[in-house]
Amino acid sequence: MRPLILILFLTSLLFGYEKGDMLSQEIQDRLGIKTEKIYVIDFFASWCNSCEKEIPYISQVHQKVDPAQVEIIGIDVDKKIENALAFQKELIAKEALTFRVINDPENEIIKEFKPIGMPALFYIQDKKVVEVIYGAVDDIDEVIMADLERLKR
Amino acid sequence: MMRTALIMISLFVLSGCSIKDVQPWEKETLANDRMQDNAGNTLFTKFENHIFFSKEGSKGGGGVAGGGCGCN
Repeated sequence: MRPLILILFLTSLLFGYEKGDMLSQEIQDRLGIKTEKIYVIDFFASWCNSCEKEIPYISQVHQKVDPAQVEIIGIDVDKKIENALAFQKELIAKEALTFRVINDPENEIIKEFKPIGMPALFYIQDKKVVEVIYGAVDDIDEVIMADLERLKR
Repeated sequence: MMRTALIMISLFVLSGCSIKDVQPWEKETLANDRMQDNAGNTLFTKFENHIFFSKEGSKGGGGVAGGGCGCN
């Protein structure tokens, strides 16, 4: 029985967060996750063209939602911090990036989530992953708004 | 003893053939323009296409652009 539990534990380490998984305390602290809000975590990088296209739409969502209920957090996974900062500065200048961004040059955060593609969106409610979207999606702003409406109920 | 050692050595040697997956967040270099097919070699590609289209009589046949009217 013990080896089986050990194998199950080790395999769980191979996979990242999926729908229904509880976030680790360390990740909750790093992202500043609290229970009362729904969080949308967007993983992006300067070299990811699809991510760049989606960011302005996600910023639009950020401007529409009630900050007391929903928070959008961007995680920039660029390994070179100077690339990350230049990319964010450029987007902010174009008013295309309005939400809070955490830089993850060591990729410690994304290695916990282990998305199978980028861009990746994780919805967090009650410290649990409640929805995941991988890859570029058309009209992502409308998709997020619809998902948030569903989650608020 | 000898057999166990042989198995251990084989496993160790074979592990050298294993490939570590590139994770989605590690594709910075792969996403670079220089990593695309024929990148940095546009003149040569143009020349090659010129020969191909002349021989095949299929201008525009190498891509998806154009409606086949021969007007571009």
